Amino acid sequence: MSLWRLEWLRLVRTKRWIALASVYVFFGLLGPLSARYLGEIVERFGGGVEVTFPPPVPADGMIQYVSNVSQIGLLVAVVVAAGSLAFDAKPEMGVFLRTRVPRLWDILVPRLVVSFLAVGASFVLGALAAWYETVVLIGSLPVGGTLAGIGYGSLYLALVVAVVAAAGSRSKNVLGAVLVTIVVLLVMPIVGIVEAIGKWLPSHLVGALAGIPSGMGIDDYLPAAFVTVVLIGLSLWLAVRWSAAREL
Amino acid sequence: MIVSTHQLRKEYGSTLALCDVELRVSSGSVYGLVGPNGAGKTTLLGILAGLRKPTAGTVEIGVEWTKVAVLPDTPQFDPWLTGREVVDLARSLTDPSVPPGRVDEVLEEAGLADAARRTVGGYSRGMLQRLGVASTVVGRPGLLMLDEPSSALDPAGRREVLDLVARLRGEATVIFSSHILGDVQEVCDTVGILRAGELLFQGPIDALLVGSAVPTYRLRLRPPGDAAILALRRAWWVRSVEAVTQEEVRIFVESVEAAEQHMAAALASTDARIVSFGPEAATLEQVFLELTS
Repeated sequence: MSLWRLEWLRLVRTKRWIALASVYVFFGLLGPLSARYLGEIVERFGGGVEVTFPPPVPADGMIQYVSNVSQIGLLVAVVVAAGSLAFDAKPEMGVFLRTRVPRLWDILVPRLVVSFLAVGASFVLGALAAWYETVVLIGSLPVGGTLAGIGYGSLYLALVVAVVAAAGSRSKNVLGAVLVTIVVLLVMPIVGIVEAIGKWLPSHLVGALAGIPSGMGIDDYLPAAFVTVVLIGLSLWLAVRWSAAREL
Repeated sequence: MIVSTHQLRKEYGSTLALCDVELRVSSGSVYGLVGPNGAGKTTLLGILAGLRKPTAGTVEIGVEWTKVAVLPDTPQFDPWLTGREVVDLARSLTDPSVPPGRVDEVLEEAGLADAARRTVGGYSRGMLQRLGVASTVVGRPGLLMLDEPSSALDPAGRREVLDLVARLRGEATVIFSSHILGDVQEVCDTVGILRAGELLFQGPIDALLVGSAVPTYRLRLRPPGDAAILALRRAWWVRSVEAVTQEEVRIFVESVEAAEQHMAAALASTDARIVSFGPEAATLEQVFLELTS
């Protein structure tokens, strides 16, 4: 039994992977469907009010997917990652691990990697489902741009996991780690309202999957990607530093 | 010495948790760290284990880091792991060269062989404690620190944990913190008494029991025993005589040596009918209360 297997078992036995995958895949299937049939849905439940929508374009399928997973999907991802990364939440469990490994990295790395792979794989699965359904129901999407959007979205999720690690090393329980992370993630789009700053913020990457098929260039997201990489490094550094300073 | 501290001090804000502690634990001993709640036992063990940082002072541990094992007072594990997986994880993290067969061996010793493949979420408190001990010993540590391992267990669970600790004697050095003095007296050979962060006494438990309490003898005699009691009260080596029942008295003496030398003759000179007499052993509890009151 290794710490890598421990994390794998955590995902499988606690059914966390099902929660993650089902949320992302559900929204992946729902997004293009609602984009394609929005007019019909409103007409059926609109109580006789006639609303005219422009015909859906392929990018709409991804816009619907991104808008859904950037809220509920992100919340599930944060909760799942915090359950693993706040390893001192129960001090007795923290003692078990800390007194048996020479470096904190040995505890953190498997948790970071497995959490990211689980969250990232769920996001990619959902995006692929949304892509497939968009092609079937609305029309084709640019392959290169969509793949780049998936890559940018995954990079943003890597930052989310790193922020959870930092928050988990500072807060005393899982709920605290979740709340701190949510606050940090909420602050970014608020700051991003200022246009000059917005394109540099990691939250800009969230919309890449919808933005690139809508006409944005792949290069437009590079500044945000650069800042995201820097912030991932900073978050991990803080996670190690704060974990090392913690007394049990 | 396998563990020694020098001028060890720990402050939490304005609260002094440890005050210039000079701990000395010799190799191979079972060291009982006793003290009331809040005395600083857990803080001291936390510092020795590297889980807390001292405000001042130094700690020297005479074994390599991988050979130090720590058991918290209420061990907890991921509830979806089986008992065997918990111990195997402890083995692989502590010393991967230890053969996996050792896992089954320690589970057997802990009385958990039958429950080894059950998830620990269904374990009782006593089973978790024994699983904690099994996880602690699986890597064949040279130094074990057990924080209140028998507290809050039922008598059967306590008995099992104490037997496990007793079996470690000779295999490893054990630091065993507890406020259950009977447990410490039973399994430890050395004791350290901590109160409000100060180490009031440390040394062999026998030296503490003999050296700290007033030496006492217990005498049983057939009534009337007035003449014998009067003779004892007049003896220079007797501090006082206290009647326990009509047929039994406690004699507080100046020293064990003086009592051994003069008591038989003093009783013989009175024609009293003596049933029995002998030294009364002090308990750790009596000494502890004397020291900490």
